[in-house]
Amino acid sequence: MNSIEKIKDLAERKEKIELGGGADKIAKQHESGKMTARERIDALFDENSFVEMDAFVETRSTEFDMQKKKVPGDGVVTGYGSVNGRLVYVSSQDFTVIGGSLGEMHAKKITKVMDMALKMGAPFISINDSGGARIEEGIDSLSGFGDIFYRNTLASGVIPQISVIMGPCAGGAVYSPAITDFIFMVENTSQMFITGPQVIKTVTGEDVSFETLGGAGTHNAVSGVAHFKSASEMECIEEIKRLISFLPDNNLTDSPAYTARDNMNRLVEELDGMIPDEANKPYDMMDIITKIVDDGDFLEIQKYFAQNMIIGFGRLNGNTVGIVANQPKNMAGVLDVNSSDKAARFVRFCDAFNIPLITLTDVPGYLPGVGQEHSGVIRHGAKLLYSFSEATVPKINVIVRKAYGGAYIAMNSKHLGADMVLAWPSAEIAVMGPEGAANIIFKKDISAAADPSEARKAKIQEYRDKFSNPYIAAARGYVDDVIQPSATRIRLINALEMLASKRENRPSKKHGNIPL
Amino acid sequence: MKKFLIKVNGNQYEVEVEEVKVEGAAQPAPEVKAAPVAAPAPAAAPAPKAAAPKAEAAVPAGAAKVTAPMPGTILKVNVNTGDTVKKGQVLLILEAMKMENEIVAPADGKVASVNVAKGSSVSVGDVLVSLA
Repeated sequence: MNSIEKIKDLAERKEKIELGGGADKIAKQHESGKMTARERIDALFDENSFVEMDAFVETRSTEFDMQKKKVPGDGVVTGYGSVNGRLVYVSSQDFTVIGGSLGEMHAKKITKVMDMALKMGAPFISINDSGGARIEEGIDSLSGFGDIFYRNTLASGVIPQISVIMGPCAGGAVYSPAITDFIFMVENTSQMFITGPQVIKTVTGEDVSFETLGGAGTHNAVSGVAHFKSASEMECIEEIKRLISFLPDNNLTDSPAYTARDNMNRLVEELDGMIPDEANKPYDMMDIITKIVDDGDFLEIQKYFAQNMIIGFGRLNGNTVGIVANQPKNMAGVLDVNSSDKAARFVRFCDAFNIPLITLTDVPGYLPGVGQEHSGVIRHGAKLLYSFSEATVPKINVIVRKAYGGAYIAMNSKHLGADMVLAWPSAEIAVMGPEGAANIIFKKDISAAADPSEARKAKIQEYRDKFSNPYIAAARGYVDDVIQPSATRIRLINALEMLASKRENRPSKKHGNIPL
Repeated sequence: MKKFLIKVNGNQYEVEVEEVKVEGAAQPAPEVKAAPVAAPAPAAAPAPKAAAPKAEAAVPAGAAKVTAPMPGTILKVNVNTGDTVKKGQVLLILEAMKMENEIVAPADGKVASVNVAKGSSVSVGDVLVSLA
């Protein structure tokens, strides 16, 4: 074979590998509404920027005649490239190659790019489309899973890790996504579960479909496992790019700053009329958020889960901020098990990646009920207090209406180290709502009155006038300033600028012990 | 009240069992099992009707249940059985946590049953409305 022939041979070898499981399998993949591993990579990365690594890797297994099976690339495509000009590492499982099953070398390819992502400090995206462990490779396959989980954990808080579920992701395989920061799912074509419908049927007798058990809808709305849901793979990839635009490359840098088109001195007059006059009337917190952030551009995370709490990314004067807000429109905006979990994990992500935190508070309290207590609302609610206290990024709290009791403390209060607490004139900062408080404080007066119901009303009003405002808290310095709502955007941008050089030292320790 | 001794994995437990009597609507009705659906009201069967639990509490089989997310009081009911509703439409107002919470339709559909009335107290998980 002369040199020219050798070069031709190389081209042929690559071509064969790039065909994955072959034309039939690719057609089948397309029929089920899915792209191939390589098509997904092409859609994700800037044109011609993707560089593949380890294309020639093959399985070492000889059990069950594995050496006779054609396993191009061992069922996964790995490499790096640029996404909107920024370095990103990727692994993309190829379902057309023996079901994308994970064997020893398949896992080695993935851990190699993970190690590189960690060394170079760039985001890692893992696209999952796999039948699970490659049974033929036995314990070596399990070792592969363990190696991936271990690196997911080491990389946690160092580089952003994004998992994309675009097919089955079952059994042990689910724990890599679960450890990462964000999980994307696609409706109807992706599922995650520990045990599938058949096993469940034999063990518990329950009849359940794949989609109901672990589809995109279930994990976005019910279990809270996933963060994003898309109608198609293309839509999903666009959403991933949008998310990346808000994130830094690693924990030692800041998120990319964009030149803001939006005016930093923009007054938002609509905000002055946003809060209903009656304290028991709901409104949509999302309206406040989108009016404050640059260009109304807000990327909501876990949109369908624990909707009484809103979390997501926006920008103020071109810089990324993480927003945590109560949603009065949903379950009165109470704190409960799920909303506490949801917000706490987000706060820790922002803290790990130098993203300033802004909270918009309108919280009536923790949700009462046996169910909540027995599900551990104490343990879960504690996460929120812990994560805000632990965070050393700039922390700003805007109290727009209710801030009662323990929930007031939990929502990024001055007491947990908030750098700036602003309140709208509509704020009610107190130990509890007027109705409850009046019943306790004026119990004797009310029962002794000629008309207890009238007396109660009067006392409630008395309490409301006296305590349901921001000025008592402001008099103690727990609120730094009471502001006109329309000036909120200006004041937030100003505070962020002032806090940009924030440095806060904590006692050195291995790590804390967050109540999990 | 009856007492039983139950052994599970070698551990003995003393269990008290009380039969729940369904009479009127004094107690919060136990999870309403799709009452034997007499599809189009057969006029010629008054006897079983009397024995059935309150008509308004029945959820037709297969209907999607809209349940109470929080304990509270029903302030307003906006729909009647048979109404067609759009996804996101306010079905009723539940006053809870000092807030008038809008309970909206999770999907387009037809109201199959309204299980509460203005002033009803509800607990978490109680069926408010069912949609077919």
